[in-house]
Amino acid sequence: MKTDPMVILKRKIVNRMMIALFTIAVIISIGALAAILWKLSVAGLKGFTLDVFLKSTPAPGTGGGLLNAIVGSVVLVVTGLIGAIPIGIMAGTYLAEYGRNSRLGDVIRFCTDILLSAPSIIIGLFIYGIIVLPSGHFSAWAGAASLCLIALPVIVRTTEDMLRLVPDSLREAAIALGCPYWKMIVKIGWKAARPGIVTGILLALARISGETAPLLFTSLNNQFSTSTMNGPIASLPIVIFQFAMSPYKDWQNLAWSGAFLITITVLAINILSRSVFFKKRTQ
Amino acid sequence: MSMTQQSSVNWDKSAGALFAREQVKKLPMPKGEYFEGPFKIATRAASFLLIAVMAAIFLLLLYQSFPVFKTFGFTFITSSRWNPVSNNFGSLASIVGTLVTSLIAVIFGVPLALGSAFFLNELCPFKLRSTLSTMIELLAAIPSIIYGMWGLFVWVPIMSHVIQPAMIKNLGGIPLVGGFFQGPPFGIGTLTAGLILSVMILPFIASVSLQAFKSVPASLREAAYGTGANVWEICWKIIIPYTKTSVIGAIMLGLGRALGETMAVTFVIGNAHRLSLSLLAPGTTISATLANEFAEAFGNTYIASLLALGLILFLITFVILSITRILLLSTKRRMPL
Amino acid sequence: MSSNTDQPRISVQGLKFYYQNTLAIKNVSIDFADKCVTALIGPSGCGKSTLLRVFNRMYDLYPGQRAEGAVMVDGENIVDPSVAASKLRAKMGMVFQRPTPFPMSIFDNIAFPIKLYQNPSRSEMIDRVETALRKAALWNEVKDKLNQSGLGLSGGQQQRLCIARAIATHPEILLLDEPASALDPISTAQIDQLIDELRNEFCVVLVTHNLAQAARVSDFTAFLYLGEIIESGPTKQIFTAPREKQTEDYVTGRMG
Repeated sequence: MKTDPMVILKRKIVNRMMIALFTIAVIISIGALAAILWKLSVAGLKGFTLDVFLKSTPAPGTGGGLLNAIVGSVVLVVTGLIGAIPIGIMAGTYLAEYGRNSRLGDVIRFCTDILLSAPSIIIGLFIYGIIVLPSGHFSAWAGAASLCLIALPVIVRTTEDMLRLVPDSLREAAIALGCPYWKMIVKIGWKAARPGIVTGILLALARISGETAPLLFTSLNNQFSTSTMNGPIASLPIVIFQFAMSPYKDWQNLAWSGAFLITITVLAINILSRSVFFKKRTQ
Repeated sequence: MSMTQQSSVNWDKSAGALFAREQVKKLPMPKGEYFEGPFKIATRAASFLLIAVMAAIFLLLLYQSFPVFKTFGFTFITSSRWNPVSNNFGSLASIVGTLVTSLIAVIFGVPLALGSAFFLNELCPFKLRSTLSTMIELLAAIPSIIYGMWGLFVWVPIMSHVIQPAMIKNLGGIPLVGGFFQGPPFGIGTLTAGLILSVMILPFIASVSLQAFKSVPASLREAAYGTGANVWEICWKIIIPYTKTSVIGAIMLGLGRALGETMAVTFVIGNAHRLSLSLLAPGTTISATLANEFAEAFGNTYIASLLALGLILFLITFVILSITRILLLSTKRRMPL
Repeated sequence: MSSNTDQPRISVQGLKFYYQNTLAIKNVSIDFADKCVTALIGPSGCGKSTLLRVFNRMYDLYPGQRAEGAVMVDGENIVDPSVAASKLRAKMGMVFQRPTPFPMSIFDNIAFPIKLYQNPSRSEMIDRVETALRKAALWNEVKDKLNQSGLGLSGGQQQRLCIARAIATHPEILLLDEPASALDPISTAQIDQLIDELRNEFCVVLVTHNLAQAARVSDFTAFLYLGEIIESGPTKQIFTAPREKQTEDYVTGRMG
């Protein structure tokens, strides 16, 4: 077949151009990650002393740290997870074991998917409406509840996905021994899917650790440490928000330190969960 | 005992059979059978909670914001006047801001995401592949408030000192398009917010698209390369049509996230309830309005208006997510996490 | 070879089995003698695995699958829904095509079914685990790694682990669904030898598509085709002097 050199040339040019564009796209993407991490490290580590862990949030101009915010975040995240884990695992179990082909199961899956991607600020509004308004005040309970609702669909999804990966032959082998159905789920299904379920919990943990919007009008903020769950509590993301938007230089520095802390934690959890999952899978 | 084709053993109630039945009865039941019912009920109850929460969100927002629609009627959506003092609220500025920033995010984010995914799938040296794709996924893990801070402290100065003046000088004079690039280079504004959002949603779209690209069967790719097609042609004419549904689903999910994103936008959008043609002007989005004003809102109408904004946002994202789900249903794939 | 009891261990009478609306087993009647190995042979899709899985009511798990007719075991019709499936499964041990070790230690794999029904003391449990592993010809290979995961064993060892697990609760009937089809020839030979020894204690029903294995190991053979029993009888007779042409075609390799 006679080849037309112009056609070949045009294709070549277009190809080279697009390849260049793809390369630029990847460079921009990776570059953005590098830029963010760089800025975080530089600004976050500047003035990062042990005080950050030892002292509570200060008034502008006085030294201080982020202790109450860190403690508050831990309290909110842990409480939220304590609520989300059992409900999430049970619901995921229902979807994978009992509700595989049922209409009800499909409806639940739909709701889970919507809740998974719904704006987190809407969750905050919801909790405001059902906890803060009736009780008349902001509280750590409300903040934890909103984080629980954000973590819940993540855990439901990963539990269902991981349980579905367990081969049916394993289930049948247990049933053939006379094992009751629920026992088979707990002792065989959960056990086999355990690394994946743990990964899901870690992912949910990473996700809610960095959430700010739902806390804005549920747990609000607190300049001091608090010993009660019934009132506003400080949290790292909220403190970062407040300090970063302020005109005070020392507050902004603390904001960067806090941002650095959160990012390191979240990235570490992500990397850890990857290694948990892949290590246990190949065992 | 010989076997015949049609056995005709009469299994009547002989003594032997009765005795055997007693033996069967003596066998123990497996332990824990009584727990079967409660366990199933517990899993069902936990699942119902998900439906209940979603319904409750709808109902709560509807109920709380109903008075607003009664008071303002349709003008709530068509007016951009937002005055807490005179109790006059209109959501147009917020809605337009939400839509415009998300659109910008998609316009910039999708090419970047797809380009990165193509690179990782076709051009990247094998050794780098997992490292680079992990890095892109880590980009998705960074909390949105970090993006907001990065935007405010790194991007805004660049925008106001370099990019925006250049835009105003070079693009501001062009008829038609120029209207988008007017006004003082504040640095903050709708365009900046859209750009930050694009960096936020790009890793998500990229990783989902990459997964879809990887699922193209090797035989198809080999056949395509075998005809002499080059990389671009394979990507555009083979891979994209094959993974069309998943990629569109990924883009729509990215859009859904952009629509609802709060913190990244709040830092850089300027929080002005103003409609203006110029992308360089400050504006607001629904989520930014909520984030900035909710904690200090006073008066029933104010709070109800904010909740009405929430309802509108929920409805918008609900529609986008439902469409995505229906779309992905045909590929039998679930929405990505 | 004669069985030790006069009455068959399992007596299938007029069994029909449906997948949704498709009739997969069409009016089958056959007896299975105790302390013997009965092989079910036939081409893919003939219903031999389906028949096997009726015996321990495995189809209960899947809506839309149902059985009609009678399968008498110890005087009870086990197809009748009023018979508790779990009691039935205590009497039947099943081994599947693919080895299915549970995600736990070798010791726990064997202890699992025992713990379902009884609460033996630690020393008694150790004894029972050892007995089961010895009977499955696996004890010597795993006796010093009982606490390691069952997933670390080779394919043949995993399958013998599943056999040990199936016999740990002293069932009376063993249902083997192509137990060696996923294994290499050496492991297959070991499984064959195991079946040979197991016949002394159990009523063994063996589904296999390996005709040589069926000829080697079984006392009786039934040939199924498209959900019906075409012929059944002593193995020697089925393989050397089959009465039906279809049987002859299948065992000589002309069909299937």
